[in-house]
Amino acid sequence: MSVYAVDKVCRRAVADPEFVAALRADAEATLRAVTPQLRERERELLLAGDVGALGRMGANFFLLHQLGRLELFGLTLPSYAERIRAEYAVERAAWLEQRPERR
Amino acid sequence: MGLLVGALGIPHNPFTALAIARGDGAVDESRRLYGELEARLEAMRADTLIVFTTDHYNLFFELSVPIFAIGVAEATSGPSDYEMLPQFRLAVDGELAAELQAAVVADGFDVGRSQEFQLDHTILAPLGVIRPAMDMAVVPLWISSSMRPIPSAARCLALGAAVGRAVRASALERRVVVAGSGAFSFEVGGPRMSEASHVGVPAPAWALRVTELLAAGDVATVVAEATPERLAAAGNAAGEILNWIAMLGAFAARPASFIAAQGDEGHAYAAWEL
Repeated sequence: MSVYAVDKVCRRAVADPEFVAALRADAEATLRAVTPQLRERERELLLAGDVGALGRMGANFFLLHQLGRLELFGLTLPSYAERIRAEYAVERAAWLEQRPERR
Repeated sequence: MGLLVGALGIPHNPFTALAIARGDGAVDESRRLYGELEARLEAMRADTLIVFTTDHYNLFFELSVPIFAIGVAEATSGPSDYEMLPQFRLAVDGELAAELQAAVVADGFDVGRSQEFQLDHTILAPLGVIRPAMDMAVVPLWISSSMRPIPSAARCLALGAAVGRAVRASALERRVVVAGSGAFSFEVGGPRMSEASHVGVPAPAWALRVTELLAAGDVATVVAEATPERLAAAGNAAGEILNWIAMLGAFAARPASFIAAQGDEGHAYAAWEL
């Protein structure tokens, strides 16, 4: 249930410019105020822009990448992508081996 | 009487639409392929465009995520999720949409109704390229093909068939085109992205196979092979093929009048003149 709270933060960032402004002004306070509440660990990971760990916890990747697109929590789209690739390096190597068609 | 006059398969990469809007020469091939669809849509002289699409977490999320839903309103606007794209306000064919909902529910499909909505890039990014005048009413029909559980390919084909029957049975004088929006293999932000981008095409061979099957009119094989396992392996946006399958269900299977793949994008551009 709690990962839903992370997904909702990402989704709200796309739809709510005031929420984005609040995140830029005071990210920690804004994240403390969201409903449903984020778990402590989730808030820490968001503030650190640790999208790899959030992905591991089950956050929705489509929603998560919006943090990079909107350049929140120190992320950009390239740095978002780099962190996901690094987190999943082992799986990516295995996929490449199993799927020669994959680019 | 309602008349189904054509069908389109349309990719909806928002960054492509943005590049086209900005005159970027790097997307000349996409501009040319969209141009093909633009000309064919113009020739179809449609009053209404029914678009099977996938809400990208913009409309349905907190309150409810319906497996199927249809938009019944007088007008809408958007795209709601990419403010840098050209913004539009356009008519919704609410009269036909309400008829379609009643007909398909009576036909056994539990399609919900949304009466206040904006459209996202999945409809308005491509439509902004191929019909920027927005002088054609739309009916959005959302299929939940991203958030699991997703409906089966066979169920989406049957839904499309029900929509086709409802259009033909309608007493409304309408020339109707159906469209399916999306890709066959695509990953957005997930671990199977490419080395160079936040997106990727995990199963390019699948995307090309779908294109070849549709060129031959072999819809049944596409439906049979679009299993949950294959769609999961083809990327977190690969369920969008269900939008194409619903579109294909609206008319008897036949080879595409026009189809062209972009293998490195995992999608195709297609048209059927009916």
